[in-house]
Amino acid sequence: MTLVFDAHVRLGVGRDASLTAGELLAAMDRLGIDRALISPQERCLAVDHRDGNAFVAEAARRSGDRLLPYAVASPWRGRGALDELARAADDGAVALALDPAVQGFDLLDGQADPLVEAAAARGWPIYVRTGTPSFALPLQLAELAVRHPQASFVMGKSGATDFWIDARPALERAPNLYADTAYAPWDVVLAGLAAPPIGWGRLVFSTDMPNSAPAIERARHDAWPLGDEARAAILGGTLQRLLP
Amino acid sequence: MIDFHVHKPSEGGEGGRYDSRPYTAADYVAVMDELGIDVSVVFTLDGLWHPSPAENDRVAAWVAEAPDRLVAFGTVDPRLPDAAAETERCLGELGMRGLKFHPWIQAFCPHEACMDPIAEVAAAHGAPILFHDGTPPYSTPLQIAALARRHPDVPMVLGHGGLQDHWREAIAAVTGTPNLWICLCGTPNAGMRAVVARCPSQRLLFGTDAGLGAAVSQPFAAERIAEVEQLEIEEEVRAAMLDGNARALLRLEEQVG
Ligand SMILES: [Zn+2]
Repeated sequence: MTLVFDAHVRLGVGRDASLTAGELLAAMDRLGIDRALISPQERCLAVDHRDGNAFVAEAARRSGDRLLPYAVASPWRGRGALDELARAADDGAVALALDPAVQGFDLLDGQADPLVEAAAARGWPIYVRTGTPSFALPLQLAELAVRHPQASFVMGKSGATDFWIDARPALERAPNLYADTAYAPWDVVLAGLAAPPIGWGRLVFSTDMPNSAPAIERARHDAWPLGDEARAAILGGTLQRLLP
Repeated sequence: MIDFHVHKPSEGGEGGRYDSRPYTAADYVAVMDELGIDVSVVFTLDGLWHPSPAENDRVAAWVAEAPDRLVAFGTVDPRLPDAAAETERCLGELGMRGLKFHPWIQAFCPHEACMDPIAEVAAAHGAPILFHDGTPPYSTPLQIAALARRHPDVPMVLGHGGLQDHWREAIAAVTGTPNLWICLCGTPNAGMRAVVARCPSQRLLFGTDAGLGAAVSQPFAAERIAEVEQLEIEEEVRAAMLDGNARALLRLEEQVG
């Protein structure tokens, strides 16, 4: 059986879209998704980090191992952010989520580096949401990834929409960077990202619930004519391998 | 269903994009039949980089292969001295129903004065002007609204409903500008739900952006249609967005459709 592992979901009450753990698990059952990495909502990325970390840790504990928590902390908090990551790690976090557009930092200003190092030291992959100019762009993330070759980075949204054009050069620049399939049509975007020499081993599936239409995100990977090995890697195998 | 955002495939060659293989209008109409699309509003793709009368002629000729199923929009370089004259030729002689601009590719800001003579020609024909939107620096919804407010008689359309980052701004632009319409095309699902909930339902449109794909079959367009069909909104609003509103804007009953 192919493991289907959703690399990014936001749980909780958001500005314009919300999701409860019950709704998420029901959607996963409906769509044949085994596991999901869960981040707290935007408010908790921006300011209420401890609330957010506790919220997703609790949802993960109640999920019977189907939901795995991201840790969140603001790069602006300095030392305090590292303490928050340590607390989240003790609470079961397995990855770090960053969102420069929501958290208000520049990927290359140096502030995120201590968080990246702390995540890498724990063997956590790092999801970074991209696509919003001027400070959340695929090529900026690629430079951050080059600075931290020991860490693995997931390029959230792969630059959707008008920075899809940068996603391929970003993958070429940083071998430790992985492309997220959310929102990206397979025929116009994903086939180009997966073309040799990059290859399908650098793509990971996410639904990005509740911002997306999850059934559409999932169905894309059945519609895309791919070999079984490639499909299994994109749908979950690669992400599973990136986790500690 | 009326698809308000379709591109004639690239001619390929040096100026082409996406390794697009040209296909015929008849082949695309067969795909429309499969997708359940009655009428497509067709723009250039190559002409966004190289607008020219010759490309407008090619779009008009492509559409003329299936005049009851395809509607043509033209484009011009708004900085050229003959921009208004070419606009007049598109909407008059060539029988095009509107204009499409992609400001950041075409290198102008929507509210620059060079758009005024073009908008005046559009007003004389009652023709809408659609813009790519959702992308800074020169395709933001409020920049397009600024032009629309100078030309209240010209319906203008946000061609992408704000895309990923500007759909909240798009809602503000549309609700504050009576002649501004919004086409959901590449808007994320949460944004689509918010747009439908907060914008006047008679100014909602839908489009797929078909034509960007290399093959005539356009798998991603099928994905976008499935998404809008599954969107949790009132059926009456969906019907207006997918059909009635576009017919009214294009005045289709008067000539085709
Ligand atoms: Zn388009």
